[in-house]
Amino acid sequence: MTAASRQMKLGAFLWATGHHIAAWRHPKAHVTAGIDIDHYIQLARTAEAAKFDMVFCEDAAGLREANVAISSQTSRSIGFEPISLLSALAVQTSRIGLVSTASTSYNEPYGLARTFLSLDHLSGGRGGWNLVTSASPIEAANFGSTGLRPHADRYQRAREFAEVVTGLWRGKPGGASGSGHDSQSFSVRDPLDLPRSPQGAPVLVQAGASDVGRDLAARTADVVFTAAQTFEEAKAFYDDLKGRLAAYGREPDDIKIMPGVAPVVAETTTQAQEKYEELQELIPDDVGVALLSSYLSIADLWRYPIDGPLPELPPSEGMQSRQALVIEQSRRDNLSIRQLARHFAGARGHWRIVGTAAQVADELQARFEGGAADGFNVMPSYFPGELDAFATLVVPELQRRGLFRKDYEGRTLRDHLGLKRPM
Amino acid sequence: MDNGATMHLAVSPLPGIAEPSPAAEPDFSLLARFVQRAEAAGVDLVIFADSAPASGSDVATMPFEATTLVAALATVTSRIGLVAAASTVAHQPYNLARRFASLDIISHGRAGWNATMAQAPREAANFSRPEGFSGDDFRRRSEEYVGIVQGLWQGWDKDALKFDKIGGRFHDPEKMHLLDHKGEFFSVRGPLNVARSPQDRPVLVLSGLSASDMDIAARTADVVLLDDEPIESAKTRHDDLKLRVAACGRDPDAVKVLMNVSPVIDDRPAVTADRLEDLFRSKSCDGFNMQMPTKLSALDSFVDLVLPALRRRGLFRESYRGTNLRSHLGLAGGGDL
Repeated sequence: MTAASRQMKLGAFLWATGHHIAAWRHPKAHVTAGIDIDHYIQLARTAEAAKFDMVFCEDAAGLREANVAISSQTSRSIGFEPISLLSALAVQTSRIGLVSTASTSYNEPYGLARTFLSLDHLSGGRGGWNLVTSASPIEAANFGSTGLRPHADRYQRAREFAEVVTGLWRGKPGGASGSGHDSQSFSVRDPLDLPRSPQGAPVLVQAGASDVGRDLAARTADVVFTAAQTFEEAKAFYDDLKGRLAAYGREPDDIKIMPGVAPVVAETTTQAQEKYEELQELIPDDVGVALLSSYLSIADLWRYPIDGPLPELPPSEGMQSRQALVIEQSRRDNLSIRQLARHFAGARGHWRIVGTAAQVADELQARFEGGAADGFNVMPSYFPGELDAFATLVVPELQRRGLFRKDYEGRTLRDHLGLKRPM
Repeated sequence: MDNGATMHLAVSPLPGIAEPSPAAEPDFSLLARFVQRAEAAGVDLVIFADSAPASGSDVATMPFEATTLVAALATVTSRIGLVAAASTVAHQPYNLARRFASLDIISHGRAGWNATMAQAPREAANFSRPEGFSGDDFRRRSEEYVGIVQGLWQGWDKDALKFDKIGGRFHDPEKMHLLDHKGEFFSVRGPLNVARSPQDRPVLVLSGLSASDMDIAARTADVVLLDDEPIESAKTRHDDLKLRVAACGRDPDAVKVLMNVSPVIDDRPAVTADRLEDLFRSKSCDGFNMQMPTKLSALDSFVDLVLPALRRRGLFRESYRGTNLRSHLGLAGGGDL
């Protein structure tokens, strides 16, 4: 396939003031993003004008950080609930896809299927659901659970949940069997009371990268969002996941793999580096360590010497694949807790590129053409400035290279992503 | 000039009776025009039903889920209140509280939740509760649920967010409060991860009330929707509810009673206006919830023929007095009354 015919897919991952943990403190960050709908409308329009495939929203049904002394130094504790946010954006945009995260642990499949189908209708076929299983005990405490479900149980429920939802989207009552669904986890009697999706069914995105997570993605997902620091990690993940599709009767191209990328882009390398340093300087140590702790699912990382190495860690019921990534990075680069915390605080385990538009485009192109990605979920450091920078500097560079569309060709998110319309 | 009138008016577009649309797809633009027309007429609020399969029939009712619809409508309107029905069976209380808190910020303080105290037949069977709930269980569960949602809506103090970039203080830790609810049906720690409502908290509209639900309404509701009744019994019911509100230590005026009416206006608008005037002046209610087909023609009949009569008689205000739903309804917390 030539570079001109195979087009990169791009998501604009919107998150309040920005993906950098200290983004909100940046002089140019819009600090009231979490209570300003007009800010989000503007971001979605910027992404649409740049021909992004979609905007993407994360979600957690609870605070990100239990320690209020830490959370009060970040902007993560408040924001819009994403389904209502994207429903508002649906009628303020006309072409861009709208994908929101929602949990299989704290929803019921009938309600979730119906809500996302409604978003899909409001947007004329541009909706998508990012399936997560929720690994946070903070969320669990908002839903009557005494503890987090074990990883394997969460994925068992998620698999069944996805089956029921995709069945309902295809007009079947309660899942694939067509005659209602009954199991330990769910019972669903009726078909949805809304018309069929304008794109056949909303797009199903998935992010879990553990072994069971990959199997679930291979079985059900249209798009996979992943975190990979190096080309080798990204390539290994890409080949592994595409290799699992045949077992489910699917083609490699039926899934688009879009790793997260956290670029810091400027006119010159020096300016980009300065911009990055400026953000890093704004991270308080306790916030960086707390963020790292939550990724490692251990509450007391702050007890260890901050200039010493990461301690040995017990296996966790949290995000297993992310945890492996953090540990690998710390060993590989021989980083102290402080160094690792700062490093991860900025990009949350995602791939960081600091440079000019040409340098960023080079890196994206290498992974795209090297068979390590079908596209990227772009995670701007702060909003709106860094989304603007990507849209005005990097996108035109990708377009010049024939890697990214100059205009939308279709109407629906499935059209943009080159996905089959489901039967 | 403000005429000092105090009647409140809601419009409820009935699901399943939409204007035939040339496109087979559900038509957002029709609903947008409908609500914009109601806003131009100064109506307090529009209430959207949510038709999760009540009957098990396959007839498409309202073509959108109500909370997503309200989010979209919020961006194409600026004054009118927007209330969505959402079921306590279909949503977990934490998720529902978040959704409405978010709608309230999207709409700049114009959102409300319509909770029904009546169980929808068959609904539980689609939400992994094939056995449903007994009437008593459902009532106790609903009250607990409403209390959780209202508690979560108050987890952040009005001045909790500091946005202090230099000092590194995004919010004041003292002004964020856990709910720590542990009840018969739910346990919810909180707080919500959505900021405080611009109108203090979203408006709670209760409907589907049986006689035994009146104390729950008196304790929790901002607005109650009651079925159409002759003046005498409506007045008795109204007075009884207001006494219960007072008995809870609340201002009787803190709960607005709106009577559901489905007028046939076309021929004799004065008759409709007379009836509304009689009910209102007898203090049988604080206003009306006008149930009508989702048709511009039906809404036009009401706003062109009945509303002017109500205004001439000094019963309905000439225009909006505030910017949020609580201020339209004369409820505390509206801020800009």
